[in-house]
Amino acid sequence: MESVIPARGAVLDRLARLCQSGHWRRSPLAAAPSGFAQLDASLPGGGWPLGAIAELMPAASGIGELSVLLPALSRLARAGRYIAWIAPPYLPHAPALAQRGLPLERVLIIRSCSSQESLWAAEQALLCPAFGAVLSWPARISDKNVRRLQLAAETGASLGILYRPAAAAREPSPAALRLQLEPTADGLAVAILKCRGGRSGLRLQLPQAAV
Amino acid sequence: MSQELWLCIRFPQLATEALALATTSVDGHSAGGLLIQRAALERLAAWAYQWSSLISCAPCEPLLWLELGASRTLFGGHAALLARIEAGLLQLGYSHVCALAASPTAAALLTRADEPRCVLTKSQLRQRFASLGLDLLELPAATHSALQASGLRRIGQLLDLPAAAIARRFGPETVLYLQRLCAQASDPRPAWRAPDTYGARCEFGVEVHSTTALLFPLQRLLLEFQGYLYARDCSVPRFTLEFEHYRHPVSRVTIGLCAPARDAQQLLGLARERLHALQLPAPVSALRLQALEFSSPQIVQQDLFGSDTQPLQSLQRLLDRLHARLGPDSLHSLQLQADYRPERSSRCIAPDPARMSSSPQAPAPDEPMPERPCWLLPEPRCIEAPSEPLLRGPERIESGWWDQGDVQRDYYIARSGEGAQLWVFRDRRDGRWYLQGLWA
Repeated sequence: MESVIPARGAVLDRLARLCQSGHWRRSPLAAAPSGFAQLDASLPGGGWPLGAIAELMPAASGIGELSVLLPALSRLARAGRYIAWIAPPYLPHAPALAQRGLPLERVLIIRSCSSQESLWAAEQALLCPAFGAVLSWPARISDKNVRRLQLAAETGASLGILYRPAAAAREPSPAALRLQLEPTADGLAVAILKCRGGRSGLRLQLPQAAV
Repeated sequence: MSQELWLCIRFPQLATEALALATTSVDGHSAGGLLIQRAALERLAAWAYQWSSLISCAPCEPLLWLELGASRTLFGGHAALLARIEAGLLQLGYSHVCALAASPTAAALLTRADEPRCVLTKSQLRQRFASLGLDLLELPAATHSALQASGLRRIGQLLDLPAAAIARRFGPETVLYLQRLCAQASDPRPAWRAPDTYGARCEFGVEVHSTTALLFPLQRLLLEFQGYLYARDCSVPRFTLEFEHYRHPVSRVTIGLCAPARDAQQLLGLARERLHALQLPAPVSALRLQALEFSSPQIVQQDLFGSDTQPLQSLQRLLDRLHARLGPDSLHSLQLQADYRPERSSRCIAPDPARMSSSPQAPAPDEPMPERPCWLLPEPRCIEAPSEPLLRGPERIESGWWDQGDVQRDYYIARSGEGAQLWVFRDRRDGRWYLQGLWA
């Protein structure tokens, strides 16, 4: 063991220097650029928060609720991180994802039979630092569980996306970011209901992404 | 001989403690107790193999010997090594008494004496014995009576006698025993040999009804298994757990890993997920762990700062955990298929860590496909003809006449009353309209 002691000293030195320089702490503002300039400008850090939970509450399925996220997912995936889709309501269509630049190799789809299992799988994936984003579609989720996922996202420094029904917008939630999505004639209206570290109450009009 | 250093570990409660969930004590001398004790000692020998290449089990006593002379420098001196072994035993949950001496006979005797039990040199050994009582000697009862009659009380007094006198009064085997005690005669022990495959069985002493209660004995089995894996310097790609029931055939669960592993906590985590979902047909009376295949280890440097230096490894671990809890059918990767029929152009395949961590393949540019929607319905759903004007279309898809999957469709993008963009088609064969996807 004698030979190990100097090495341990060196490690402690390195640790002390890291703590002083501030590199030790993860920046709370780490963000994944959304690919929409307007949205990035309204979010702290300039994008979707990494290490946090964001709730998306679309008025209906098929209004662009994935398109708003896909540029960020593609960027994360091309940087080598995985994207988990937990119990999605429909089949993610491989040609469409590939067309939007998402490398299919980085996609993991998890089907589960109960909401409890989905929640567990979301937590596990968020905790895993190899995952850049974890998307899930809980029918109902308690504040306690959102907080639990929030902690997991912080640990894994990943983006946790909860797609929730439009009605959930009326209830408070501990999620760091809450966006309400509504279709408009020429795109998607995004209302920022809550934004930790930024301004809430903003309403943005994003151009129609895919079609 | 002077280099030898023997650790003897005595397990005073082995038979009772080996029955992981026993509520009453088990007599280590009863026939059943002896069997349980023997099995536990074998498992402990496998576990201890990580510390020494020379292990010996006592034939009928709960005693284990480890020759540490060769390995003590490797582990940073005998004190550091002993501390690690004792910490490991504590984790396994076995009460134990450890003694170190230059001969196995002396070490075994010291496990029955008071502290100090670490006597490193032969001269110190002689001093240590000077004050110890003769009752500690492992001699036949007749010899003990003869010793008692002789008026001798201390081992030191006996050792001071000339060998010829001892041989005459107490028999030549007593001389040999004393020479071995003082590390002056060769003291060979049958070496325990690591089996090529691993099997360990643990009886409970009670019937276990809940799978949660199995975790405690399972953890011990896996910790012992980890010792064996370290000793053989290998990892395990899969292992089997067998649950024995009183009046039912054995239940078996095989747990496979994406990448071979040997960390007990990792294996326990997987087993826990698997047990969580397991429905056993009857209460469990014993648990058996079996591993038949081994592979060379993948040594991974742990990063002190927790940064993600091994994404592949953490992906593998996650896949293993998800797999264990949710079952293999719940995990998918996506793959493109060269087929114009939308329902056949996207394929779900089993996730393969190697593919997932490979560098992404650029989509083939020579087959430009019109934009596709992100969501597909599992089956096209028959709908009424769209009343509102269609946003875009038609895109005609005719394909599959060669494989009975014949489609003749005109695709359009329509808008629903809620503002969603729908991917719909009119089947040209029957004229009906179907919803197949959503432009999410």
